[in-house]
Amino acid sequence: MKYRRKLFSYKDAFAVNDTNELFLKAVKENCLYHYNHCKEYKKILDGMKFHPDDLKTIDDLSKLPFLPTLIFKKHKLYSVPAFRTIVKATSSGTAGMKSEIGFCVSDLYSGLKMVLNVSKLRGLFSPVPCNYIVFGYKPHKSNKTAVTKTALGATFFTPALSRTFALKYSNGKYNADLEGILNAVIKYSKSKMPVRFMGFPSYTYFLMKMMDERNIRVKLPANSKILLGGGWKQFYTEQVDKSVFYDLAKKVLNIDDWNIIEFFGAVEHPVLYCDCKNHHFHVPIYSRVLIRDVDTLDVLDNGEEGLVNLITPMVKACPILSVMTDDLGILHDGENCSCGINSPYLEIIGRIGMKDIKTCAAGAAEILKEVNL
Amino acid sequence: MIIAKGKIYDSKQQDEILGNVENEITETLSSKSIDTETVISAVEKLCCKLKNGDFDDIINSLPIDGIDEYKKLAIRMLSRENIMLKLKTELGEDYLKTLETSPPEDLPKIKITAKPLGVLLHIAAGNMDGLPAFSLAEGLLTGNINILKLPSADNGLSVRIIAELIKSEPSLADFIYVFDTPSTDISAIKKMAEISDGIVVWGGEAAVSAVRQLAPVNSKLIEWGHRLSFAYISGFADKEKELSQLAEHIITTKGLLCSSCQVIYIDTDDYDDVTAFCRDFFPVLEKAADTHKPSSIDSRAEITLRKYTDKLESFLSGTEKAPFKSDLCSLVPCRDSELELSDMFGSVLVKPLPNKNIISVLGRKKGYLQTAGLICSPDKRDQLSDILMKSGIVRITKAGNMSSAFPGEAHDGEYPLRRYMRIVNQEI
Repeated sequence: MKYRRKLFSYKDAFAVNDTNELFLKAVKENCLYHYNHCKEYKKILDGMKFHPDDLKTIDDLSKLPFLPTLIFKKHKLYSVPAFRTIVKATSSGTAGMKSEIGFCVSDLYSGLKMVLNVSKLRGLFSPVPCNYIVFGYKPHKSNKTAVTKTALGATFFTPALSRTFALKYSNGKYNADLEGILNAVIKYSKSKMPVRFMGFPSYTYFLMKMMDERNIRVKLPANSKILLGGGWKQFYTEQVDKSVFYDLAKKVLNIDDWNIIEFFGAVEHPVLYCDCKNHHFHVPIYSRVLIRDVDTLDVLDNGEEGLVNLITPMVKACPILSVMTDDLGILHDGENCSCGINSPYLEIIGRIGMKDIKTCAAGAAEILKEVNL
Repeated sequence: MIIAKGKIYDSKQQDEILGNVENEITETLSSKSIDTETVISAVEKLCCKLKNGDFDDIINSLPIDGIDEYKKLAIRMLSRENIMLKLKTELGEDYLKTLETSPPEDLPKIKITAKPLGVLLHIAAGNMDGLPAFSLAEGLLTGNINILKLPSADNGLSVRIIAELIKSEPSLADFIYVFDTPSTDISAIKKMAEISDGIVVWGGEAAVSAVRQLAPVNSKLIEWGHRLSFAYISGFADKEKELSQLAEHIITTKGLLCSSCQVIYIDTDDYDDVTAFCRDFFPVLEKAADTHKPSSIDSRAEITLRKYTDKLESFLSGTEKAPFKSDLCSLVPCRDSELELSDMFGSVLVKPLPNKNIISVLGRKKGYLQTAGLICSPDKRDQLSDILMKSGIVRITKAGNMSSAFPGEAHDGEYPLRRYMRIVNQEI
């Protein structure tokens, strides 16, 4: 996978135009690999009368058959033997219908390079040690959810002085420990080292509300940051109005808007998206986004609303190079954002179907209901 | 957005406003009351505006198919005549008057007065547009002060309706509070619950049980949970017409309403009759689906994606698609008789249920039963209706009208207005 290696080693994480040719080669290489190693993938491409060699120009990406996420929920598709997938991730969300995607060593290595590169955008790497507060599940062997892994992974950006988890596993289930978190926040506010919050927006919001209510105000050390993540779904269920969130962070924690950073990534498309200072999600070089017409599935121009098709040659273990999400979105021209990044940015408008409404944020809300205030 | 005392505020001011609500409400309770006529005339004015197209901009922007039908229905429901009928049916002719008992011999007499519960908190569901405003109107009709927590899926229609209502009748302002608090903000919802005498909750089991957890023990819970409905077929009066009406119902409600048909029961214990029915009915269903092709972008996207996924699945399995399935609709023949949720969106289950088993099978779903759309030969109608009534069903209609609104009908077997009031007895 030499083209993948080249793409994931490329210096500028948002030079989408300059990497088109490389991206196409990496996709072709990836496509050929899956075609030869995953019999289900071959059946689909053959059925759609498509061969990896048909990828000749960057525009041909639109002809590459895409796999709807539902396919991964119903079938386990692998292109490497099971023993070589060292990490398995399942999508959080609807019970009983989870996608399982595996990653092998080289996939994770590519992923690591990508994370390092994308995170530079918001100055997330720093030699200054931090106190971490993780609004996620404390890892436990029974929890394969990707969110756990990304939330923990993000605590390695800078040396960790401490890690405090909001959800702890005891007696066979996860329980929220907000009092413990609140005590940690008060303690860390007296430290010289910055604090970083990581995880589900709804938890962070809930903690801040709790502080506001009890009239607790802290001034966290300069450069403290709130990192928000938790999956695609966070970004359109909009449980919390963003401006309300930003205002509250300033009020109770003294964290400014530009120190609130959002991420997303989906199990079926594990490319890390990080928002710019204007809170837009620009497409990084490891990914291409096609917006497709809801009736014809033809590719639409930027600015038009349609189904979101995501392409990446990152993963060798599973044929997830072109996936169709259940999301409706718009791709905007990069020039519309003043942050200086030219690559287009993706806005998620909504989600189709009503059967899959429950998100991991809703799950979080359920656990919170058991907390007595 | 928040509405309090007739003014609109930003969501950010929630806690500040909520902090004052209790005092304001105490003030309103001690100095003011609203009579039914005020509410009816406000609703009547609103109805006129709806008729004149004042809300067309927002209504037309809703991602709903067949929106004109909904509008017509709303106009009918909001008419003075219909509201009067509702009051009369639910509360009785003299219910709002103070009555005096005349007990036998020289037993003591009392006065009987129906009074509002006081403060109602409405926690509305998002599956029906305008429903939050409807719930609030019921609270107003019974003289209550209303706190409405909007569903996160609300699209602005409810706020607009409520603002108009206050505009046409400013004296209602003290009786209406609307908050767009997210369901995750438990502490705010708890505060609202503590102020309230009754909590009206609409929605699925998760919503209902969440509210049960946070409601104070001394507040009255009025739960409008999700229900299941079905069609029951035992012969026909006019087969062609009845089947096409049933098909229209399935396609137009998409299975999303409590009254939507989830299962079509055939009065038989022979599975062959089930598949034979599917063969008869499938073309009828397909025709209805074709005439009501969805226009909203997400329904269209879903159909396109489903079609594409089915194509990929056929490459993977090498099998043909199921016999009673098209891109827009499907019938799923089953051997069991359990009443359960279908896949909705044009998909419905077909099951055998001989009439001798109706009570035992439906008994397992007690508390969830709502409408039975009954199709049968005229001579069997009374007898089958009787069995269905005994099974716990609370509405029996013709199959095409399962989701139609009937003036004066109860809600899930109860009269909501009665539940929003209390009876005060006074010794004379």
